[in-house]
Amino acid sequence: MSTTRKRVYGYLARFKSASALYKAAENVRDAGFKKWDCYSPYPIHGLDGAMGLKRSILPWFVFFGGMTGTTTAFTLAYTTQVVIFPTVVQGKPANIFTVPAFFPIMFEMTVLFSGFTVLFGLLALIKLPRLNHPLFASNQFHRSTDDGFFIAIEARDPNFSATATRELLEAAGGADIELVEEEDQ
Amino acid sequence: MAHHHHVTSADIAINGDHLDPSKVSTLKTVALVVAVLGTLASLYLLFWAPVKLRAPFAYSWLFAFYFFLTLSIGGCFWTLLHNVSNSSWGTSVRRVFENVGSTYPWMFLFGLPLLCPNVQQYLYEWMNIHRGADGIRADWLHAHNHLLSNKFWYMNLPFWYGRVIFWGVGLSAIIIALRKISTAQDTDPTPGTARLFKARFHSTYTLVIFALTITFTGFDFMMALDYRWFSTMWGVYLFAGAALNSMAVIVLVATWLKSMGHLKHVAGPEHFHLMGKLMLAFTVFWAYVTFSQYFLIWYSNQTEETSYFLIRNTGNWNIAMITLMFGHFVVPFVILLQAWLKRNPKLLSVVAVYTLCMHVLDHYLITIPERGVSLGGETMSKGPDFAGLVQQVSIPGAFWGDILAFVTIGAAFVFFLVRALGQHSLYPNRDPRILESANVTN
Repeated sequence: MSTTRKRVYGYLARFKSASALYKAAENVRDAGFKKWDCYSPYPIHGLDGAMGLKRSILPWFVFFGGMTGTTTAFTLAYTTQVVIFPTVVQGKPANIFTVPAFFPIMFEMTVLFSGFTVLFGLLALIKLPRLNHPLFASNQFHRSTDDGFFIAIEARDPNFSATATRELLEAAGGADIELVEEEDQ
Repeated sequence: MAHHHHVTSADIAINGDHLDPSKVSTLKTVALVVAVLGTLASLYLLFWAPVKLRAPFAYSWLFAFYFFLTLSIGGCFWTLLHNVSNSSWGTSVRRVFENVGSTYPWMFLFGLPLLCPNVQQYLYEWMNIHRGADGIRADWLHAHNHLLSNKFWYMNLPFWYGRVIFWGVGLSAIIIALRKISTAQDTDPTPGTARLFKARFHSTYTLVIFALTITFTGFDFMMALDYRWFSTMWGVYLFAGAALNSMAVIVLVATWLKSMGHLKHVAGPEHFHLMGKLMLAFTVFWAYVTFSQYFLIWYSNQTEETSYFLIRNTGNWNIAMITLMFGHFVVPFVILLQAWLKRNPKLLSVVAVYTLCMHVLDHYLITIPERGVSLGGETMSKGPDFAGLVQQVSIPGAFWGDILAFVTIGAAFVFFLVRALGQHSLYPNRDPRILESANVTN
């Protein structure tokens, strides 16, 4: 005999519009929650502020990723064109003053490495790719890609309470509030 | 960010936000006095002073004239771009764009001395050759100067004068008309969208005239200093500097107005952030274009093209060129990457002042290195008047003239800008998009 144990993921509440979601997000932020998120079919201007999100650390990754690209390109070009096999074209110098010839590749590699850091840094920060998400257990959550505006507050947030959190979402104008449970493997 | 007060029509000054004349009267008077006295001194130096002073000062005047012209042209550019792109973010600060642009007709007047052969003889060698030709010019050039003969269709005196008058009149008419459309809205009791669409429509084809003006004033006044030299990047290079630094002026004016309590509710950190982003974008664009110009010339290594950089890499000019590369690109690029900094008007203004200093260096290096080689050159050394001038990389003491010309035209720029600011409301208070702009987030 086997029984499927379930674990509470948190509350999911639906809001009727982007502005209702925005106002509810401010309430949840002010209640001090940290482990929660908003889901909307399209980006909403200023929602990051309403959620109290800090600036992402990603730009710093990208800055150093880009710098790595610049350095890599310079080292590659300088080593091959100056150190290993000095290439004299049109009487131009084969030393540090050859650097203008390296600028295009330095620029391109900066862009390439920055692009890679954006992509992979972003995927790592938002923990993608993943095979499943607990919210997929909800029958209404698919509307978040169509006409649904959702807030999900996770049970692992220290402020979470089975009754008070539900009341908070209700007071903020949430409808179809459900307790989402994920299967525990 | 998201928490600030949502601006409604109750926050908009119904009769406009007007500059208090008593607060700016001292500044205006001082600027006007400096401009008038400087102009009188400059006219003496341009036309009546001994040749040893007169010849170098022609370059000083050209440098200062074109520097401030780029700022005015940039004001026209941002006005046109804002209209034609149907933008709403900048409606709160659009009047500043228009006021910076409205200095263009006045700044162009300072170019009038450059239309006089007495001044031209020190600047434009090609004109001296044309004027010295015997008989029919085209025939003489065909026989004596192959290069000028080939360029005759473009580089001839009647066409040059015709073009220069067109650059002055054309863009002046455009900015005056656009500013009129904009300010007429301020007092209209039933303001609609008609003027908005009218301004948008008329900003389309006039943007072409703007592009021709920034490109070919650059050709006719600056590139023509050496008729042998040419660069296809020249127009876009001057444009990049103009767009960047006129935005720096706009940031400074907006900060100044805010500090006096104007633009309240309508312009805030979001607007400065956006303007800072445009400064960052054009810092990068300037570097991209400037390097491209250098790179193409460096790579192809052709005698008639490399002269530009040979002159500017000789002697101490080389230090200035390297300073320009780091100071005009690397430093402001890294500083302007900071989002928090761009949202702070005072800090962004510090960067704007710095950027303008680099623009001075940029334009100094465009115009002035040509002075030493030209005034000591073969063509100019004819006659007893020029005997004292020999071939050299720079003319000692001539920078006093550069400072005089710069302060003179700069004071006039400040005067006409502050005068324009005082003429109408400081933001288009009845524009249909003013609330959208006031509440912008990015």
